[in-house]
Amino acid sequence: MDFSELLIQTLINGILIGGLYAVMMLGFSVIWGVMGVINLAHGDFLMVGAYMTWVLNKQYGWEPFLALLLVMPAMYLLGWLTQKILINRIIERPHLVALLVTYGLGIAMANTVKLIYTADPRITTTRFSGFWQYGEIVLPITKTLVLVAALIIMVGLFLLLRNTNLGKSIRAAAQNKEAARMVGIEIDRVYAITFGICLALTGAAGMMLSPLGSITPYMGAAWTLKAFAITAMAGLGNIPGALLGGMLLGLVENLLATFVPTVGSHIGITSSFALLVIVLVARPQGLFGGLRAPQEIR
Amino acid sequence: MVNKIIAAVQSVIFNRRFLIGVIILLLLMPSLFYAAEWCKELESTTSPLQQSFCEYLIEERPVNGAVLLSFTQMFILIILASNWNLTGGFSGYIDFGHAVFFGLGAFGTALLMGSSRWEEWPAFLSGWNFWTAMAGGGVVAAVFAILIGAATLRLKGPYFSIAMLGTLVAMREFVRVNSNISGGGLGLSLPVILNRPFFFYVSLIMMVLVVSLIRWLRTTEFGATLIAIREDEVGAEMRGINTTLHKITAFTIAAALTGMVGGMWAYQNTFIDVNIAFNQNRTIDMVMMTMLGGIGTVAGPVIGSAVIYWLRDVVWANFLLYHQIFEGILLIIIVLFVPEGIMGIFKKEDSGTSLFGVIRGWGRKSARQGSPQGSPTE
Repeated sequence: MDFSELLIQTLINGILIGGLYAVMMLGFSVIWGVMGVINLAHGDFLMVGAYMTWVLNKQYGWEPFLALLLVMPAMYLLGWLTQKILINRIIERPHLVALLVTYGLGIAMANTVKLIYTADPRITTTRFSGFWQYGEIVLPITKTLVLVAALIIMVGLFLLLRNTNLGKSIRAAAQNKEAARMVGIEIDRVYAITFGICLALTGAAGMMLSPLGSITPYMGAAWTLKAFAITAMAGLGNIPGALLGGMLLGLVENLLATFVPTVGSHIGITSSFALLVIVLVARPQGLFGGLRAPQEIR
Repeated sequence: MVNKIIAAVQSVIFNRRFLIGVIILLLLMPSLFYAAEWCKELESTTSPLQQSFCEYLIEERPVNGAVLLSFTQMFILIILASNWNLTGGFSGYIDFGHAVFFGLGAFGTALLMGSSRWEEWPAFLSGWNFWTAMAGGGVVAAVFAILIGAATLRLKGPYFSIAMLGTLVAMREFVRVNSNISGGGLGLSLPVILNRPFFFYVSLIMMVLVVSLIRWLRTTEFGATLIAIREDEVGAEMRGINTTLHKITAFTIAAALTGMVGGMWAYQNTFIDVNIAFNQNRTIDMVMMTMLGGIGTVAGPVIGSAVIYWLRDVVWANFLLYHQIFEGILLIIIVLFVPEGIMGIFKKEDSGTSLFGVIRGWGRKSARQGSPQGSPTE
């Protein structure tokens, strides 16, 4: 395999993983954009979704991609309940309260999962394994399917936000809460539904992650960080930006893994951190704009 | 009635004489440990009083190694929480990655004491004695704090928090992949020393010094500036305060002290690897203990750490598997219902956020305007 083929292969891998990253961060960035809550438990919700898929896969023999049908509604319900019970009470408070509460929630969830399923790394097995080969370049089928599923989910979310009444309510609540309330939008209900939808997306991302790499109870923090890094690039609730940012992070990670010898594959998380800090320090409004200035966050 | 009890407790606890008495008692504690050792070596006793005393000491062991170890751990937690409070409580920059300095200090000390597994490790950077190596660990953490703080402390509120969480995760991976520094999966072994009273004294003295330092800092102009930054950073800047410099200074002090504690902990533990040195639970401990005691107060982290440590030692030791779940939920409960922590009890005016605020309702309706540390970004 010569250099150009290696480069093409790396770019393909980066783009394929970008879909997963985009779906993964959308839940985080929409919650932030609509409610102003920075959900530090995001990675742990992702982990819960991944473990749901794993249980369905290993104990009931479900195909992971089919498990989406059950994981997404279950995560929607979880998100709706979390919002009603917990998040609704902290939305009006300073952002610090939300940070600490979601941090505590993440710890509790990660340790609950660890208690039930132990800390062993897990992976799901899908029927759609193997790869298509074109000369020296391979296209893993699982990753391609993940990208396709991610694109379908993102288009669905895009249409939902743009065309339906619910989507309009969500956007109105994000733009101006008081005005939205005045025109008769039930803010609490819209928030609960938004949180549910976002967690459904996160659960879907957890499912997509489960056949690709090992899942452990404590992987949450790293994924929250990735979601934050992509949000810093893409802006809040910006779906095309999410895809672009996700693919950018995927490319950076894969390029590092391929072209930095021996340690490259381990410093992916370091690269997302470096990307985050560089973007935030150099362009506090986000790479493509659309990141709220910190002063506007409650 | 309740108020009178609170006032009485307050006048006792925050009395200087009481505090000095507690410190002296703690200083004298290991003498019972030494007395028991001395009794064991004694062949014949001279008086019945001495004999009964020695029998009591040897059979009961009121102060054995385990007790001293427990207290040492508690002192370490108090120092860590106090340090976290310096940036998190005073300047209002909530740091979710403070454990990174602990880990760096631990690795710095271990390497300087000559436990590197790498043949090419420079000779002049090994074989230091414990004190210089511990100071070296503090310097490593401080230098890293200056470098990382110069970038991250320019970020506001949640951006800073996440960037520091990222620092911890990224640094852990960075140290892990550089296996000639971290020892890879084998970890690093330090010179073995089994001297509980030594670490008891070191941590006790360090705790007293750190808490005094922070109490003193709080009274200086520097401390007042940090509070000003917390309350209104833009306003502080307009008054001509170099906020970034102040933030970095506070951050570096906290990091250096945390690094030194990390070094001491490494020496006491005699073995470190990446997972235990850069353990994220340590950040959780710092945040939770400070929040329980009262964020932004000098005594809060001390009280919070003591309470949680003994809760953990006495109560949660019986529910080992569940205690981290409890702790996550406890953090939520503290933040929602008692954001001012235990120190909130001792506030003169009833702001509705004291410990008794718990019964008053489920958060939202009691309309607490602003958390105790104000809103750092508004």
